[in-house]
Amino acid sequence: MSEPLRIQPNLEFVQELQAIGGQDLKKCYQCATCSVVCPLSPMDRSFPRKEMVWAQWGLKDRLVNDIDMWLCHKCGQCSEQCPRGAKPGELMSALRNMAYRNLMGPKFIGEWMSSIKHLPKLIAIPAIIYLLVWFVTGSLQGTPFPLEHGKIEFGLIFPGDYTIDPVFVLVFFFAVYTFIRGIGKLYQGFDTQPKTFVLGYHPPENIWVSLYQVLKEEVVTHKKWKDCGEEEPEDTKFKGHLVLFYSFIALAVVTGIVAFTHWGGKVLPFLHMPYPMALWNPVKILANIGAIGLFVGLIYLTKRRVAPSEKDESSYYDWYLIVLIWVVAVTGMLSQIFRIAEVAGLAYSVYYLHLVSVFMLIAYTPWSKLGHLVYRIAALTYARRHGRLSTEIETDKNKVYVI
Amino acid sequence: MAEKIGVYFDTQKIGPLLDCEPLAEKVRNKWAKACPVVKIEDNLSGEAGRQLIQADIDSGDIDSVCICGSSPRADWDIFDFGSHVLVERVNLREQCIWPFRNPDGSLPQKAEEADKLLAENALDCINMSISKLQKTNLPQPEDLEIVKRILVLGGGWTGCNAALSLARAGYEVLLVEKEQELGGYAGKLYKTFPKKSPFLRAEDAGIADLLEMIGKQDSITVYTATSLVELAGQPGQYTATLKNGSGQQEIQVGSMVLATGWEPLDTKYLEPLGYGKSKNVITSMQLEEMAKNGEIRCPESGKPPKNVAFILGFSELLDGIAREEEEARQRAEEEKAAAQQEQSDEEPSIEEPFEKTESYRHMYFTNELTCLNTLKQANYIREFLPESVAVILYEHMTATGIQELYYKEAQNDPGIMLSKGEVTAVETAPGGKLVVKAKDTLLGSDISLETDLVVVPTGLVPTTALDPVIQLAYRQGPAFPDLALFDGFADSNYICFPYETRRTGIYAAGSVRQPMSLAKSAADAQGAALKAIQCLESADRGVAVHPRSGDLSYPLFNFVRCTQCKRCTEECPFGALDDDEKGTPKPNTARCRRCGTCMGACPERVIAFDNYSVGQIGSMITQIKVPDDMAAEGPRILILACENDAYPALDMAAQRGWKWSPYVRIIPVRCLGSVNTIWIADAMGKGNDGCLLLGCKYGDDYQCHFIKGSELCDRRMKNIGETLDRLGVELERVRQEEVAIDDYDKIPGIIDGFVDEIMKLGPNPFKGF
Repeated sequence: MSEPLRIQPNLEFVQELQAIGGQDLKKCYQCATCSVVCPLSPMDRSFPRKEMVWAQWGLKDRLVNDIDMWLCHKCGQCSEQCPRGAKPGELMSALRNMAYRNLMGPKFIGEWMSSIKHLPKLIAIPAIIYLLVWFVTGSLQGTPFPLEHGKIEFGLIFPGDYTIDPVFVLVFFFAVYTFIRGIGKLYQGFDTQPKTFVLGYHPPENIWVSLYQVLKEEVVTHKKWKDCGEEEPEDTKFKGHLVLFYSFIALAVVTGIVAFTHWGGKVLPFLHMPYPMALWNPVKILANIGAIGLFVGLIYLTKRRVAPSEKDESSYYDWYLIVLIWVVAVTGMLSQIFRIAEVAGLAYSVYYLHLVSVFMLIAYTPWSKLGHLVYRIAALTYARRHGRLSTEIETDKNKVYVI
Repeated sequence: MAEKIGVYFDTQKIGPLLDCEPLAEKVRNKWAKACPVVKIEDNLSGEAGRQLIQADIDSGDIDSVCICGSSPRADWDIFDFGSHVLVERVNLREQCIWPFRNPDGSLPQKAEEADKLLAENALDCINMSISKLQKTNLPQPEDLEIVKRILVLGGGWTGCNAALSLARAGYEVLLVEKEQELGGYAGKLYKTFPKKSPFLRAEDAGIADLLEMIGKQDSITVYTATSLVELAGQPGQYTATLKNGSGQQEIQVGSMVLATGWEPLDTKYLEPLGYGKSKNVITSMQLEEMAKNGEIRCPESGKPPKNVAFILGFSELLDGIAREEEEARQRAEEEKAAAQQEQSDEEPSIEEPFEKTESYRHMYFTNELTCLNTLKQANYIREFLPESVAVILYEHMTATGIQELYYKEAQNDPGIMLSKGEVTAVETAPGGKLVVKAKDTLLGSDISLETDLVVVPTGLVPTTALDPVIQLAYRQGPAFPDLALFDGFADSNYICFPYETRRTGIYAAGSVRQPMSLAKSAADAQGAALKAIQCLESADRGVAVHPRSGDLSYPLFNFVRCTQCKRCTEECPFGALDDDEKGTPKPNTARCRRCGTCMGACPERVIAFDNYSVGQIGSMITQIKVPDDMAAEGPRILILACENDAYPALDMAAQRGWKWSPYVRIIPVRCLGSVNTIWIADAMGKGNDGCLLLGCKYGDDYQCHFIKGSELCDRRMKNIGETLDRLGVELERVRQEEVAIDDYDKIPGIIDGFVDEIMKLGPNPFKGF
């Protein structure tokens, strides 16, 4: 028989979880309805029942290293069916929120990202940087809203090569570096938890194959999420997320092409592309499709978040991300419109806001809800590799035995 | 004694299968002298029918009434002609006509087909009833001088509530408490779990208010530091001897509410739970005391505990001691049975020695209270030490009824951690800490938990398990009999009749009866107080209390023929009989519940009631006309049916359309305990082929309304078996069956099964002699 698990009830941790979205977790009386109705929960050590009791006891070690929080897509069926109103789905998202906050340092960012009261500080960082830039370039140009040949040229105030690209590349790599360390820490945590031995399941031979399968079978299709619920609100959420997801990819591709041609053009002149791009340029078209997709996805998701829901409550993390993307999209679109319309004052101001919001989106990603893009994929990859199977995974079911 | 009987046929009740005219003719012929009035009426159940009978009574033509119609359980209020007129109801409808079927099981299609067998059955029933009336006297109530003062023993929460209820109802109360002050354990509580809406917070027990109200009642006399030394006499006329210090005094009381409550279970049962290993393992009572004193600290270090574990899942730990005690109990039972076997022929031992019944089981009986108390004390930890955590490991979290709200509320506290779990060990660890290990938890694996303080539950042991308490000067002993059945709780198997004990006039309430909360105890106190009043008033009117409430009759002894065999004294389930040195029984009418067990027990048949006697039933049996040829005219089988459960069950079976053999004749008895073996011998001697006794369930989970009646009957039938055997009558001809009131669907099976067996046995060898 195995050694008894040493447990340490942790009142502070319970209270922390309650504060971050799991207010009702203490109501759970362990009937396991949640695990039964969950369409994704594995057969063995199913979630979210066990997370509920761990949370009630404040078993921090178990919870922060729990891989299952990433297997949950929060369809909310558990919360809806819960006879005590304990809202297990909210706990699962609270756990994820806690991961965004605590998994990686610097600690202050995690803390600032967790509450609206710290928001001004987060805004202030890029706002001050670009205000300074604006002040300097504006002084050099003699006006805060300069024109070149009668046209608005954002580069006059915010020269890309000196003030945008270096800063954004820096914060981008800062985010990437943080994510890589984050994944390492995540995996270390998973390693400490008991494993499932599954007979009749052949795991991918290495982690990269596993990642490939995750991307192909789950991420690209959003298949798991689709399984999660087919009722109206979930469907809206699913569609919204899918559109938003592909829009992001489109815009990432555009950004990549632009950066590549720009900086590549400095070395190999034939790569150079003229700016601003013409509206018929395929890259420009992709960019605009991406932007429209962004709006469509945002509208879907916002509509659902605004509607009161028992199944899925919205936390600060949810609103932070959605509002930020709105700001990025709206300011991006408006700065283009004002530029074409030649309203200099507005165009520069909105473009400034656009830079601030994009900075926030990139730099704070590992501590925001957007972090799930990396952490969830990493966790799913790990899960697939170690046979932590949700009931829906394609296997020869007759031969699967869980030990 | 009925001398002029009016016989009335109600054609509406007994038609159309039965023709009344020939029956009436036979009654006129046979009972010409005894029954001056024989009438056939269309419908008696109404004012017109009643007046018709009343007119015959008023004119002096008749002095008693025999109504042939429905069951006596119907229309009993209509046929009440005052206490001076005897009324006998011949249950033709429910127990003769409705259940009638042909011997082969088929139903009669026309009236003529049924005629002969049914008419014979009906005639037997009528004859039995007339004969019964002739042997019945009008009961005269005994006139007792009674004291309308009620003793409340125990001045805790329950006792004080009972005293207050009694005083408010206008009775004089004697409130006796053995401690220096009133209040009992309720007075030692910091708080109690919720008693009022919204049932979320523990609240003050309210003992101070209660004591203040007691103080305002002039009719309550409080005796503290006083104990009851002896209670002699009978309801209405008790003499209570009270001892205070060295002084003793005698006070007359009429009845008593027993509210002596509980004592904490011996701590030896807590040792397997870690009690005694460390000072930091405390009982819930110790924690209560700390809370009452305003500070919760680890006894060893004097520091506030960060982490407190409450142990409710203790079965595994208690297993060893439980097994030992169960084995010892089994051995004791076997020894007792063996001793009884040896002793059965010797003189009966009337007084049972008192045995303590404290055991590990009390830990479990207390479970509901323990659970609620633990939730409450976990809240104490949170109240006194908001940074600390209370862990509860339970086996069966029992928060019944509205207390579910309190449970939920405790569960919602982030600092109260709950899990089902069996604690497997409580160990000491360095630094005065303790380690609790548990299995089968909700946390998915075996756990070990380091804690600063472990709280183990306090088991409640009723005071009656430790001491006779009521100190009766009764021949059967000072304590309640057979309390081992209830592990010492002053309870009884009186289904639906709480507060009853086997000592008339003494009504138990509160935790002496069952472990219960303050709210339940208060309600219990009111109930028991009302029972005590009811008993007093009944004794005043010379009538019986439950379950024969209002019965005026009582057993009369013909001492001339008494052989002092003491059987009646021994067997009375209520200890109503004392005796003198020679063994002559001394009746105490007010203690008596009128079951007739003494009458059934008496081999000399010297005990009788005015309206119920050995001779009366004997004469009814004589009226059963037994045909000589069983093959041609069928057997005759006597059914003696207990009128508490079996008799109504027979009625109900018939009302629901069940049929049974037409060869049975039913006589109701007060209780199978009142069945005298001479009746069986009589029935067999008269050629009846079998005798079936229908009574209540007996044994540990008895349902007998007189507790011992059906069990005693069973024992007597075993004895009569030997006699029958000597006479050459097969033992199988007499059988006792257990019937509950809701067993009506089993009635036809029981009766027909028995009749079939009798048919196989063939005719009674005595037939025709």
